[in-house]
Amino acid sequence: MKPRRFLSLALLAACATATACGDDDAAENASAPAQRGFIQDRSSSSPAEALFVEKCSMCHRAHGMGTIILARRMPPERAMLESRDDLTADYVRQAVRSGIGNMPRISRGEVSDAQLATIADYLAEGGP
Amino acid sequence: MTPPGISPRRFEEALHAFGAAIGDGNVFAAEDDRIAYSDHYSADETRQMPSAALAPASVEEVQAVVRVANEYRVPLWPISRGKNFGYGGAAPALRGSVVLDLSRMKRIAVDEENGTVLLEPGVGFFDLYDHLQDNDIPLWLSVPGNSWGSVAGNALDRGLGYTPYGDHSARICGLEVVLPDGGLVRTGMGAMAGGKTWQLYRHGYGPSWDAMFCQSNFGIVTKLGLWLMSAPETVVGVDLEFDQPDDLGWVVDTVAPLRRDGVIQQSPSMGSWLRSAAVLTTRDEWTDDPGPLGDSVIGAIRDRFGIGWWSLQLRCYGPREMTRAALDVIKRAFNARPVLAMKEARWERGDSPEGSPLTGVPVSFPLANANWHGGRGGHIGYSPVLPPKGDLAIEQFRRTHALYQRYGFDYHGSFAMGERSLTNVNQVLFDRDDRDMMRRMDAFFRALVADARAQGYGEYRTHIEYMDLVASTYDFNDGALRRLNEKVKDALDPNGIIAPGKNGIWPAALRDQAHEA
Repeated sequence: MKPRRFLSLALLAACATATACGDDDAAENASAPAQRGFIQDRSSSSPAEALFVEKCSMCHRAHGMGTIILARRMPPERAMLESRDDLTADYVRQAVRSGIGNMPRISRGEVSDAQLATIADYLAEGGP
Repeated sequence: MTPPGISPRRFEEALHAFGAAIGDGNVFAAEDDRIAYSDHYSADETRQMPSAALAPASVEEVQAVVRVANEYRVPLWPISRGKNFGYGGAAPALRGSVVLDLSRMKRIAVDEENGTVLLEPGVGFFDLYDHLQDNDIPLWLSVPGNSWGSVAGNALDRGLGYTPYGDHSARICGLEVVLPDGGLVRTGMGAMAGGKTWQLYRHGYGPSWDAMFCQSNFGIVTKLGLWLMSAPETVVGVDLEFDQPDDLGWVVDTVAPLRRDGVIQQSPSMGSWLRSAAVLTTRDEWTDDPGPLGDSVIGAIRDRFGIGWWSLQLRCYGPREMTRAALDVIKRAFNARPVLAMKEARWERGDSPEGSPLTGVPVSFPLANANWHGGRGGHIGYSPVLPPKGDLAIEQFRRTHALYQRYGFDYHGSFAMGERSLTNVNQVLFDRDDRDMMRRMDAFFRALVADARAQGYGEYRTHIEYMDLVASTYDFNDGALRRLNEKVKDALDPNGIIAPGKNGIWPAALRDQAHEA
């Protein structure tokens, strides 16, 4: 577990003035490597959340590839998996092992079945 | 599925032997496993599918796996984290190889005082970033634009970042390698048992072997030493936008001497408008026409997001006095030139983290560009190396752009500026469910490689599908380098078990077949 580190609002403000961040959507969407302020919240307060951070959050917290693409298809608040209340453990397991949309399949070498069960339960219970 | 030339029964025996070496729970041979280790960006994931995967957790287990592989003649395809998707991901060059997945090997040992790290292949950029942050270690990473991969794997594949340490393979200092016979070697000063300077002095005594294990199949790297830069006092620079495609030429000629002489010590990358736009939006928001994007569409996208035809970020790192002086030199070089927009950027120690690859912060958002065509997308890397000259860069851009147009793809190129070279990194974006597009993709890629070869330019790295093609362009003296590589391969790996076909290097038993193909 790690101490919680919140995304600085100042950084988001910096992003809003950065190149290619010309509209309201751009706080979530930006291009490499000009845009700045994309420090991800890597904090956790439980072992399950720590596992989610280690294995998933690079894409599925703010500024992650998964969050950005999901936000094109659903309301932005639903694009953050940890904020969802409609994810089932079975659905998470299926998405991870089979891939979904632009998400690649995640192998058992990278995330073991036991680790996936922990992560799936964490998301099914609504995150932190 | 079995590896080539191995019967199902024999392969079953081999899998049992692997299981005895690393635990049955770390042998993955189900259909779902095979697909999980295939090329996610391929139109046909079965094309380069492995027959199984193994996930050892220690160097001793890697050695045990290699001994079994020799006994059963099973080809292994080592991966660190398998996330270099534009180059084939985890998938092997030889269909049916067994993937050796090192992602469970995640040990990190940082020497804070000397600015080095010794790490195992499974350590990702985010893992190392977290380690430095959690332990308040004032060292910075250099990360690629898509940072979900392995630090060691990226360096061994000669990946690039954006800080002064952006030439990752150049910062390697000492390796631990399992050789194809299962033996273990440490390079450089690590060759001395208990040596105190393994990560500090690169050359060692006698021949230096670190480079031999980059982009090769001569061994399995189980530990990699890497230099890390100290967190600087300041980072200052400019974000530049340029309006016209032909601005590329004078910009390259302006930056090249600054880069060569060390005024700019990072690795700047000049990217076309689509590098930004493909992350910010999708193509169908702008046009239904599958043909080449017209100037009006490109203009509208650029207007919406406020981006130039090209964008370039330049940064200087170090004490305040030095970066201020370097920035003055840079601004003077661009003075009175047709710059569309120039904005200064500044970060000082004590400020909130700047938060981008320019300051070594790992990110994944750039790969949202895989969604440019809307569906299940992907990209493939095409990256020839040029001299750092503006006229040559413009010619390269024009020829390549014309090929993009001819084959029906949207130009997505950038120019990474090395000290004495210019790498034209292209991420060709595609929709892998569009069969016609994927067919055109193959012909397009072959045309690109032929075009570069005709100019005397070679790719610095390529996708598993095209490793032989690119290797064939390195053809001095009837392919003398290939023959040298093959001699080394045969000497070190007579059974041909480590990564057959990696970078066009085939073991003797498969060589004739590969060359005919």
